Amino acid sequence: MSPHGVVDRPGPFCTIQDLGRRAGRRAGLAPGGAMDQRAYLWANRLLGNDPGAPALEVTLGGFALRFAVATVVAITGQGCVPTLDGVETGAWRTVRAQPGQQLRLGYGSAGMRTYLAFPGGLDVATAFGSASAVVRDGLPGLLGRRIRPGEPLRWRAPDHWCPIRRLPDQLIPATTDSLTVPLVTGYEWLDFSSTDRRRVFDAIWAVDPASDRTATRLAGPALTTGPRVLDSTPLVDGTVQVTGDGRPLVFMRDRPTIGGYAKLGSADPIALDALAQARPGTPVRFVRAEPDVLRTALIRRESFFGIGAPRR
Amino acid sequence: MITFPGPVSALLTLRVSADRDGIARVLSLERFARDVLPDVRATIPAFNRLLIEGSPHSWDPDEVEALLTAAAKECVLGAPTEPETGDPVSLPVCYDPELAPDLEDLAAGTGLGVEEVARLHSSTTYVVLATGFAPGFAYLGDLDARIAMPRLPTPRRRVEVGSVGIADRRTGIYPAAGPGGWRLIGRVPSALFADPTERISRFRAGGTVRFRRIDRDAYEAECA
Repeated sequence: MSPHGVVDRPGPFCTIQDLGRRAGRRAGLAPGGAMDQRAYLWANRLLGNDPGAPALEVTLGGFALRFAVATVVAITGQGCVPTLDGVETGAWRTVRAQPGQQLRLGYGSAGMRTYLAFPGGLDVATAFGSASAVVRDGLPGLLGRRIRPGEPLRWRAPDHWCPIRRLPDQLIPATTDSLTVPLVTGYEWLDFSSTDRRRVFDAIWAVDPASDRTATRLAGPALTTGPRVLDSTPLVDGTVQVTGDGRPLVFMRDRPTIGGYAKLGSADPIALDALAQARPGTPVRFVRAEPDVLRTALIRRESFFGIGAPRR
Repeated sequence: MITFPGPVSALLTLRVSADRDGIARVLSLERFARDVLPDVRATIPAFNRLLIEGSPHSWDPDEVEALLTAAAKECVLGAPTEPETGDPVSLPVCYDPELAPDLEDLAAGTGLGVEEVARLHSSTTYVVLATGFAPGFAYLGDLDARIAMPRLPTPRRRVEVGSVGIADRRTGIYPAAGPGGWRLIGRVPSALFADPTERISRFRAGGTVRFRRIDRDAYEAECA
């Protein structure tokens, strides 16, 4: 089976992602999935794909893909400067490519992750209901590793026709210099002193360079109270955990399913998209979340993109 | 006790011990939650806790709290629920100091000797109290108190795949090589962890596990 495209250069960290997996969570498998779900969902939407079609997540840049067929791809996200045979295309749009043409994602000045969606989605294996790669979990093949130089790719509907589409400017998420993250307090929140609890909201935290797909680590004042190690507790998306050095981290898509450190609660699930695009050093502030407001936003997100609708 | 750690999730902590009786009560609450709540997307039981994730389209915290608080009480106060009765997962273990760097220390520390430690460890039917930490890792309880020891003060940088560890009243098998702080007293042949799906799906909370003692020759044969 000849490929529809070949990744000449994957850049520092390129994986296949979709909406992640729920099956297997009970057995300890990370949820996985696109770090910036909004950008990922737009990439598939622009092509008319299923919302959960497998796509490429490119980190920072240094990426090049050569096409073997005439096709159309969608580019969304932040962090890269896309060019087709050297001509800048811009992102948040579909791009038509001819056989032999090369799409490059060069290093940009802001943001972390770019999504490339293909007609019908990438034609790859799934496990436990998802094609998402989680390197740490050791699933076979592309489910357990990053994309390598020379990786052949096939998409499910190469002949699918799609016009050139652009997301209107007002719908393109702005790159921000600082982030405000709504925090649902919970877990061991009340076991921290009132000083520490105030500090969580008063401090200006900074995204730490050690952040990755597992967690966004935050630099700032150390929290000195609260229990240290507990019996492992099941985690929700975006759980904010305080590790041994007193600094909080926000668990991202490749998080564990249970955790034994003290936890402050969880970040707004939708705010994880912006956190996924925050470069090291980006200032982060927590504000107290209203769970009702977050639920309403989640309903809008799910309804708009046609995901997670009630099953009955 | 019920808390809401996220906008669409509830965490129930039962006032029961985090042992085989506790997980049985948690699993009975899990069955109830899955039966009565609409659109449950995921549940994760672990020790004496249960996480329930719902759908924003139907999640009503007041309703969830009312339904589950009463049920949780019943699960705590009711007669002990027997853990599930399915066949236990049976795993061969070789208790050999060359494969298990903490075996001799533990044998000396407890004053029982290697033979007795191996006998006690392999003569219990364990219950899976939680899964996680790594895919396919199961926290098994309850370990015989006579061979219980706290985890190592400093975790090892590398634990070999199949290593059988103990920490307090729990035991578990490392399904992949990596760092780890449990005291290593035996080794399951690595061939049993070669298939990822099997490795990940082997244990489920509430299931039972038995260890079958094998000698070094049988271990080497299974690894080959």
